[in-house]
Amino acid sequence: MKHLLYAAAALALAAALASPEAQARPVSYEGGRTFIAEHDRAMSSVWAHYTPHHRYSVGYRGEWHREDDHVFHGAQLTWLAKRWFGADHQANLYLWGAAGLAYGVDDSPAGTGPAGSLGLMADWETRRWFVSYMARGFAGDTTGASAMQAARVGVAPYVANYGALHTWLMVQVEHNPEAENPIGVTPLVRFFQGPVMAEAGWSVTDDKPFFQLQYRF
Amino acid sequence: MSIRNLTLALALALSAPLATAPLAAAQEELSEAQLTPAMQTALDEGGSLVVVDVLGAVCDFCALAMTRTFERRAEVAAATVDLDAKTLTFVVHEGADMDDATIADLIRRAGYQANGITRPEAL
Repeated sequence: MKHLLYAAAALALAAALASPEAQARPVSYEGGRTFIAEHDRAMSSVWAHYTPHHRYSVGYRGEWHREDDHVFHGAQLTWLAKRWFGADHQANLYLWGAAGLAYGVDDSPAGTGPAGSLGLMADWETRRWFVSYMARGFAGDTTGASAMQAARVGVAPYVANYGALHTWLMVQVEHNPEAENPIGVTPLVRFFQGPVMAEAGWSVTDDKPFFQLQYRF
Repeated sequence: MSIRNLTLALALALSAPLATAPLAAAQEELSEAQLTPAMQTALDEGGSLVVVDVLGAVCDFCALAMTRTFERRAEVAAATVDLDAKTLTFVVHEGADMDDATIADLIRRAGYQANGITRPEAL
């Protein structure tokens, strides 16, 4: 699993693309599928989701909690609880839950046990501005519990139409009480074109890279 | 090809200063981003144009969701989204039809909301 997550993160890096979990939105159009690979200062993860209904998605989620030395494999349900529409904006409230198994790796002696996570994310965006907030809690029978929250602001230096390359400049601030640095700050750039969204950044507080790649099938 | 679609093709080919009043109106109504080559071909083959004003379309994932939702329908020849105009435009095959309720439902299933549907018959 660890190698798979490394490979996914490396793929995202090699593509020169990347975003933290705070922006991963697997709910798509009905019948759509979404692949997400993320690598942030504390965790690497991959998601493969299917959207049977425009209000929710289901799929696999795998996580490697690098700071806590454990991995998680599970099924996740993401629910688009509310979407607000405007002529020039969109806002969303997502809730999600994941359940599966977690076990220790590297220096962790933790055995395999049931685990899961719950989270919420809210965002508001126009074609020029983006703001989001997310909070997430994880608990494992053998691997312990953790929680984090993150907020992000972004601006598009130019506004592009469908099919053109969209570029965003963003900053994400994270709060993870158990982390070596509880507060993380990550400036990043987002590239967005057609079915591909990719982000690359650098945590200035942890001196670590950040990547995300999303592809909509 | 119907007279309506012949007129549309002319409207898109001519520059605004040379256009007649109906053609000028057509150009004002449709930007290049609202009419792809595939849609133009479908119109040339007798298809009918539909323009939908959409709420919430602010990114390429939004546009992708709507174009894929409509293009997988058998009665739709081609579709695109113009984020500037905030519209979904698509061409229905000659002889086919899609009522407003179905269009609004498909927009909803793509995750967005229709805010008006027009069929530019004047074109």
